[in-house]
Amino acid sequence: MSTIAPPPAPAARSQRRRGFRLPDEIGVIVALVVMMVFIGVARPHFLNPLNLLTLLGHTTFLGMLAVGMVFLLAIREIDLSVGWMFNLSAVGTALLMVAGVNPWLAAFAGLLFGALLGLVNGLLAITLRLPAIIITLGTYSMFQGLSLVIDRGRAVVPPDQSTSYFTLASEKIAGILPITGAVFLTLAIVMHFVLHRTRFGYRVQAVGSNPEAAALAGISNATVRLQTLCLMGAICGLSGALYVGFRGAIDPNEGSDFVLAVVAAVIIGGTPLSGGAGTVIGAVIGMLIIQVISSGLIFFGIDATWSTFVTGAVIVIAVSLDQFVKYQRTRRLQRLKERASA
Amino acid sequence: MNDGAPLVSVRHLAKRYGGVVAIADMSLDVSPGAIHAVVGENGAGKSTLMKILAGVVPPDAGKILFDGEEIEHSSPQAARRRGIGIVYQELSLFPQRSVLANLFVNREPVRGGFVSTRVMEDESRDMLDRLGLSVDVHALVGSLTIGEQQLVELCRVLLEAPRLLILDEPNSALSQRETERLFAILKSLSARGTTVLYVSHRLEEVFAISDRVTVTRNGRDVFTANIGELTIPAVIEGMIGVHQEELFPPPLPARADGSSKELSVSGLSSPQLREINLSARAGDIVGLAGLEGSGVADLLAILFGTEKARSGAVRYPDGRGLPRNPTDAARRGICMVPGDRRRNGLMLDKSILFNISQVIFGAQKGALSWYSQRLARERANRQIAQLRIKANSAASLANELSGGNQQKIVIGKWLEIGPQVFLLDDPTRGVDVGAKREIYALIREMAAAGGIVLLSSTELPELIGLCDRVLVLYRGRLAGELKGESVTSRALLHLINTGLLEPAETIPRESMAERLQ
Repeated sequence: MSTIAPPPAPAARSQRRRGFRLPDEIGVIVALVVMMVFIGVARPHFLNPLNLLTLLGHTTFLGMLAVGMVFLLAIREIDLSVGWMFNLSAVGTALLMVAGVNPWLAAFAGLLFGALLGLVNGLLAITLRLPAIIITLGTYSMFQGLSLVIDRGRAVVPPDQSTSYFTLASEKIAGILPITGAVFLTLAIVMHFVLHRTRFGYRVQAVGSNPEAAALAGISNATVRLQTLCLMGAICGLSGALYVGFRGAIDPNEGSDFVLAVVAAVIIGGTPLSGGAGTVIGAVIGMLIIQVISSGLIFFGIDATWSTFVTGAVIVIAVSLDQFVKYQRTRRLQRLKERASA
Repeated sequence: MNDGAPLVSVRHLAKRYGGVVAIADMSLDVSPGAIHAVVGENGAGKSTLMKILAGVVPPDAGKILFDGEEIEHSSPQAARRRGIGIVYQELSLFPQRSVLANLFVNREPVRGGFVSTRVMEDESRDMLDRLGLSVDVHALVGSLTIGEQQLVELCRVLLEAPRLLILDEPNSALSQRETERLFAILKSLSARGTTVLYVSHRLEEVFAISDRVTVTRNGRDVFTANIGELTIPAVIEGMIGVHQEELFPPPLPARADGSSKELSVSGLSSPQLREINLSARAGDIVGLAGLEGSGVADLLAILFGTEKARSGAVRYPDGRGLPRNPTDAARRGICMVPGDRRRNGLMLDKSILFNISQVIFGAQKGALSWYSQRLARERANRQIAQLRIKANSAASLANELSGGNQQKIVIGKWLEIGPQVFLLDDPTRGVDVGAKREIYALIREMAAAGGIVLLSSTELPELIGLCDRVLVLYRGRLAGELKGESVTSRALLHLINTGLLEPAETIPRESMAERLQ
């Protein structure tokens, strides 16, 4: 295979060092646990399983979007249109159900519709060679407008909600874990492996780390960007279709404020804005942290309107921590290099 | 050169960073008005010495006499006041400000309470003319080419009329023409009494301009001598402690019978190229040379699929034509080692493990194929052992390695797919001599194993020492081809710079050592 005879592989030494390393997500996990213990000690009712599961329920739909957004940040992109892709897919799904289409089929169509919206973003971004943040700034309003046109500013409520789709979507496994929550966690685990253990995930990290080097190693930047934006759309579609089953209706404005919370969750989770790496688990924890804060505030009797402020403050703290860690790392590297070149 | 007292006298200087010795014991004298070159491998202590002279870092031991006066507790400002100007290897300009603003940074001339651009223009015009820098002085520095920026930086230092001018690899970004102009300026400065301390690793240039040379190795000065008493091989021997011929391993016997495999290019044209014809067989190492902008880079880019040809026929050993894009090239076993490895070859914030898998895993078909960490680790460890990459483990980040080891990763990631065609663009740029020798041996291996190697290089000894023949491009056309014994520095320089073959050689040249001179 190689032009040069391969010598015996000395793998043993480096392999022994593995296993002891803590996962990179340990920081946010500790932060989440500390936060929950803190609130739980002050307001024991907070740790009530029922309350925790409601919390997970709130996390589900936004959390799914955060999972997709990890891939975008990892290739140094941001999709601003996620909230309206979610809304438009949900509206589409609900309207198909109103028109009498089998709810399962309608939900599947909603997922595909989301993927199509993502494909539109992707095709625009690669043919115009513009960053996705610019393209999606435009499609954000386009999708919002389309949604308004087709739902005429009114909530869409599918008529017959006794079918298997609706009962299953609001069902709880063993009476506690909502099916939607299970779908969310499954998606997160699958996407974690997609990012770290598939060729697509490898390419995402490669392109995000150094686009030019990736291109010259035969990794097409355009393909990876298109696939990632399309994946984001599909996840929005899945989330939207599930939402219709779970809530039984879709509000005309649901999703309008999703994007900031989604990006915030990804950043709090530890995905660097500079790209090249990402953590799906971190994004899930990040979204949980945001939800714990907003519901924690309610437990302390603080007005819920403060939660937006606190979420913002948490983002600033998370980003500062990230920057501090990076600064330490570059300084250490510099010292290493100085010694090496000296 | 005169035999008066030295302008700078360095006595038993030592400097360590943490536990690592940068300078062990360095002494040298620089005569006033001389162009004094300091050469040595990466890590020999050259740059540290310059930083100490410029007051950026304090020495641990030893002393420096400047104009007979001992320098104590120096700082960059104090060094500047004393008349020591330094042009660093890396630019220290403000890209978002104009050329004038950069030239007079921190010492803007004031007329009537306002910064006067007119005075700036008047004061700088003469120097800019002498440097041959014909740019709009109100343009932003960021809009200039790297070569022009380097001249702006030089101009800034020269405007302060330093008595000692330190240049740390000043022409790494300059074109041949700009380099020639720089050298003419240095000569005229030296004639007017400015002393120049010149750090470089391009020995041909050192020999072209300097009066005296100090050779350094491992933080010590090996010897200092007048240029007339030295030869390039002698200097290299001082730098690495071996003869230069030993740098270039002899051709290896061909192992694979690949004589039928051939890369042929005929009538290849593009906006930058005119009617290029060439052919290379398995086992060949074909050199490509030419000035910046001569089309060598474009030819490699077309052969790798990053640029498009306008017309012409190309046939690769696999029987097919030009690759459609780099992905196609990578899948067909066409390898490209780019000139700027940090920008185009590596993911610096990723591990060796990750980088080695770029082509063999990342470039292949099938988005959802499983990425096996075990296989990736095996690949990385195989290349670490085979290419003798110095790293703590396969998990070390590419950014933590030295230039030579980084380049080995770039080569290693391609070796994993066993390429048929190797396109190498200056593969030893900024690599120290030890690693250079290893890379040369690798190139020999690539050819012996039946690969077709196209080697573009800016270093003539490389072309002479490694290539069976050298094709020279001049302004987009094939100016000529030199074969075997006729590949000499003189013939190459002539062809590269004029685009014309040298008039028939009268004296036959025999040995490698002579051809290298």
